[in-house]
Parts: sequence; C-alpha cells; structure tokens
Amino acid sequence: MLKKLAQKAFPRSLWLYHCNSGACNGCDIEILNVLTPFYDVERFGIKLVASPRHADVMLISGAVTRPTLPLVKKAFEAMPSPKLVFAIGSCATGGGCWFDTYNVTGGADKVVPVNYYIPGCPPRPEAIIYGVALALGLVDKKVAPVEMKQMEFPVDMYKMNKAWEDRNVIYKLLD
Amino acid sequence: MDIAAIFINILVFLAFAPLFEGCVRKITAKIQSRQGPPVTQPYYDILKLLGKENLTKGNWGFTIAPMLALASILSAIAFLPVGNYVNALTEYADIITVIYLLTLGGVAVLLGALSSRNVYAGLGASREMITMMMVEPVLAITFIMGALKVQSLGVNVTITAILQNGYTWSAGLMVLVYLMALQAFVGRQPFDIAEAEVEILEGPFIEYSGPNLALFKYYLILKQMFYATVFVMVFIPVMKSGYYPVDILIQLACTSVVFVIIALLGSTNPRLRIDQAMRYYAVLIVLSLCAVGMSTFGI
Amino acid sequence: MWLTSKIKQAIYVLTKGTVTLPYPFSPHPAPDTFRGAPHWDHHKCVGCGGCADHCSARCILIRDVCQEVRIMLYEGSRCTYCGRCADVCPEKAITTTTQFELATDSKEDITERLELFMLTCQRCGRCFDMETKNLIDKMELKGFKYDNLEARALIPVITEHFDMKTYQKTESFSRPKKVGE
Repeated sequence: MLKKLAQKAFPRSLWLYHCNSGACNGCDIEILNVLTPFYDVERFGIKLVASPRHADVMLISGAVTRPTLPLVKKAFEAMPSPKLVFAIGSCATGGGCWFDTYNVTGGADKVVPVNYYIPGCPPRPEAIIYGVALALGLVDKKVAPVEMKQMEFPVDMYKMNKAWEDRNVIYKLLD
Repeated sequence: MDIAAIFINILVFLAFAPLFEGCVRKITAKIQSRQGPPVTQPYYDILKLLGKENLTKGNWGFTIAPMLALASILSAIAFLPVGNYVNALTEYADIITVIYLLTLGGVAVLLGALSSRNVYAGLGASREMITMMMVEPVLAITFIMGALKVQSLGVNVTITAILQNGYTWSAGLMVLVYLMALQAFVGRQPFDIAEAEVEILEGPFIEYSGPNLALFKYYLILKQMFYATVFVMVFIPVMKSGYYPVDILIQLACTSVVFVIIALLGSTNPRLRIDQAMRYYAVLIVLSLCAVGMSTFGI
Repeated sequence: MWLTSKIKQAIYVLTKGTVTLPYPFSPHPAPDTFRGAPHWDHHKCVGCGGCADHCSARCILIRDVCQEVRIMLYEGSRCTYCGRCADVCPEKAITTTTQFELATDSKEDITERLELFMLTCQRCGRCFDMETKNLIDKMELKGFKYDNLEARALIPVITEHFDMKTYQKTESFSRPKKVGE
C-alpha cells in the first residue's frame, strides 16, 4: 500500500542530478535557466540535488568524451532505482557535430539507457520544460517522422524496396 | 488521557511539520518572485523517497543513524507539554533530558556522516559539529532561566516559568537572543552551513538514498517545528482556554507565525562561512550569559 | 541598519508579484528569427545535395535508389540547428521553422524523408549517374556521407575503450616515400 502511494508521489517530486559529460556548457546554462523565476520549474516539485544518490533523474549534457565515460556510468549506477535519464541537447542525443571524432563516444545512449531526448543546440528553456512536461504526462508529443514524395512511383518498385520502410535499405543496396 | 496525549503530541507533530516546511518553501519562492511548489510538496518528497531503492554501505552506523535521529526527536517531542496539557511522561523528564535528546539527534547525523567514508560528508560533519557545540548553550540557557525562577528542573514548570512570573529585562534579552539563534537551530539560510548545503558541499547526507534519506529529512523537518514550538511555549503569552484541542490549534497558529519569520529571514540572507558564524555564535553566548546573570539579580 | 534593509527588500519584492511564465499550459512562441527545426518543401527541392554537403553534423544523407528516384534522409538527432542547409539551398526549399518543442522518447521521431523524382538527360535518357563502384571516388561526390557500412569502414575506426589491435595497426603504418607509389 505504501508502494502504491510512493508510485503516485513519484511524478510529483522529481529530483534532478546534472551530469556534464564534456559539454560546451551551453546546455548547462540553459538547465540553470530553467530553475530561475521566469521559467520556474520548481512549481512541478522538481529540485536540483548535488549527489546522484539523492536523485531520480539524471540530466546528461554533452557528448560523452572518453575521459568522462566511466564516470557517467558510475554516476548512473549510483542512482537508486526507479530512475530516468534525460539527454539534453544535440550532443547528448546523437553526439552533435562530433559524433565520429577521436575523443567522443557519441550520444548518451551509447553509455546509459536514455528515456527522453531533448534536442536543440542549446535547447531553449521552454523546450526543456516541454520535455519535462512530456515525461510527466502533461502534454502530448509534437513531433513525428515526416515522409514526403514528389510523385507516386509504381507499386512493384516499392515492394522490391520494402526494407526501405525500415530505413535499412540505405545500407543494403550498395553492394 | 495522559497516555493518549503522548500519542496525540507525536501525531500532531508528524502531521503538521511537513505542512509548515511547505509553507516555508512557498514563502521563499514568493520572495524570489516565482510560483513555488505546492504547499503539500514535502509530503510528496518523503513518500517518493520511501519508494526508492535503499543503497547502503553495510556498516551498522550507516543504517542505525537515521533511525536514531528520528527516534531522538520523537522522544523529545513526547516530553513537551503541547497545548498546556501535562502528559504522562512530562514528570519523568527534566530539561537536561530534553537537551540531551536533541544533542543525540545531532550525534546521529554525525554518526551517519562519518560512517559514509566520504570526504565531503566528513567536511559537512565537522561543520555540523561546530554549529551544534556553539548553539546548544543558547537553548540550554533559555531553559535555565526558567529553572532559576522556579527553582526546579522539571519540564512543565520551567517552560511556563517565564510567562507566569512576568516579563523581565532578562527575559526580553533572551527573546532577542533566541530569535537571532533561531535560524541556526533550524538550519536555515544564514547558518545553512552543515545540513542542506547541496550547492557548496553535499553535506553530511551525501551517501544516503531512499528510505534512510526520508528519515533524515523528516528528522530535519521535525526539528524545525520543535524549535518553533518551544519558542512559542516559552516566550509568547497566549490566552489559554481550558480545552485541549483549542489550545493545540492556538499553538499551531502561533507556530505558523514563527515559521513565516523563519522563511523571511531565510530567503533574504546570504549564507555565512563557518568562521563568521562562529564569531556570531560567540556573541550570542556572551549575551545569553548576561541574560542569566541579570535574572539572578532579579532584573 | 540591517533589519530595515531586509524589510525594505521583502516589501519591494512582494509588491512585484510573480513573474513566472505559465508555459506548458499556455503557448509561448519563439520570435520569428529563431532557428528551429528545418523543414523541406518537396515541391521545390531538386535533389542537388547541397544541404548534405554543407551540413555541420553530417546528418543529411542522400542516396540514389534506382534510376529516377533519389531519397534524402534528415536525421534530426545530431542536428545542431545551424541553418547552413537553408542558407545554401539554391531553390530555397529549406525553411528553418520556429518549432523548438522537439522532445521525444525515440530518436526516429525527428527525421524527415524526401523521395525525389530526378529528370533524365535529353540525349542519353539516363539520370546523372552517381553509381561509381569505387568507394574512394564516391566519397568525393556530392551528398555522399558514408551512408553505408562498407564505406564507413574506410573512415578510421574509433573504439570506446583502448584497443590494442587498432593501436598496433597504426604503429606499422608508413607513408609512401614517392608520389605515385
């Protein structure tokens, strides 16, 4: 019974731990902006804590560089479950401009399992609040995959390239 | 009824303390020109913490410390004559017991911090020790002034002694000293050094998670309400109707006024360094000793 | 005195009220010059591949599926919203919208895919052929950005952990001494 109460109380008081894994600090400044009076996020009960052991949500900003890779893993394991991970900014969602350079592992989802991505460079504070509200279930998603065609092509060609629908055909046809 | 009053004491404190903490956070938010969390936010915080996984270090000090802290503050609350009703335990305690129980709560925090084996926790623990040592004399002297007037050490007579024997200059000085030390007792903004200082150092609670942290947070919230209630009971003359529930409500209303003062002081002041705070506490101790001296001469 | 200044501060702040935006519950659009997510207009795009060439994060991929069909895929997960694609497009088919509410829980939601019909040459009747078999020459073509696994093998391999074999391969590498060797 206490477990059910605790589960109902979980979305109303999320504690954030901010982990900067090699970011340029743009996304960090936007995260701190979200805690200012103008875009106040504390009205949802969200607080910033300094220790991963107290936190529920880890905000990762920055492409995970090689020196910070074991530290991000350690911080993730130090969080008590149930936990969530939000990847803030383009560097954390996919590695940004540096996704294949020598010092960068790529996005945060190569290191820890990520629940929500908030792209942007840096994401506006409203975008971060929108991501938080999406996680809490207050708003609906506004993005979806978009496909546009210039004209209708014959149907049998689509049947031949059926795997294209999975977007893997781009890897298969060049052989 | 006397025995039931003990449990009513504890229940009233347990139920209202997070509400007052929520009011403090809301007022802090309003002073910072923002819409803050809802007033019932600490209830959600504690419930959520109770539902999380408990990552422990395994040594006995780590697991015992939060339970010891909560137990000590609850037993100190059980002795208080809340609502001017002397319950079954009050005659078994004197003020020295109450002071020891409060110090035991502080020692439990230190035990938990030092058994974490974390550098930051050790630093927070040393600051908490300094704060505790320098601020306990003020609380002790508040009670001792009452004891001097009544020539006895029992809790019920010393707490109401100052009010019953009339306000003197020494009592007025003691009110000022208590108000100036109130922020240090509850661990809020000018003297925020040890506990909730998650911005500068992580404080003594860095390795705690889940239910243990919930117990520690509850201990801090209850300590805050305890000190505010002691202030109301010792220094503020309120009219006493004979009815127990009405008295409790009147005391809660006065306590909420004290909480508003705590919130206003807390949100408009910066945080002092530990050496600046020590100089401040030294001045407070000297002033309270003067107050005791004046009261022995009957001023 | 200390106390009067604090009282003045409290009264001043409390008369101002709260300044919080009621954001998720009422919309707060970005200014018009804000660079949000790019959007392709399939009526104007000719499939030149300029955007894929200039993309900073190399997240626009172009591929000729067959003789008259070219597919362009924009993966928004790495996009840095720099706006270079919109700057360089000769047909002004790319607009940077002011959409910034892009939070999602899977990276496939922020993709855009375009299937383009390419015109054939009047003389030979074929499309401009980008299907050279040599992977090295392919890397110089417009829009080619190792969009397949074999080409990616030509780009130096990075590992997350220190890999002794990769390191040893680099030790035995030596530059050619003469041009054309």
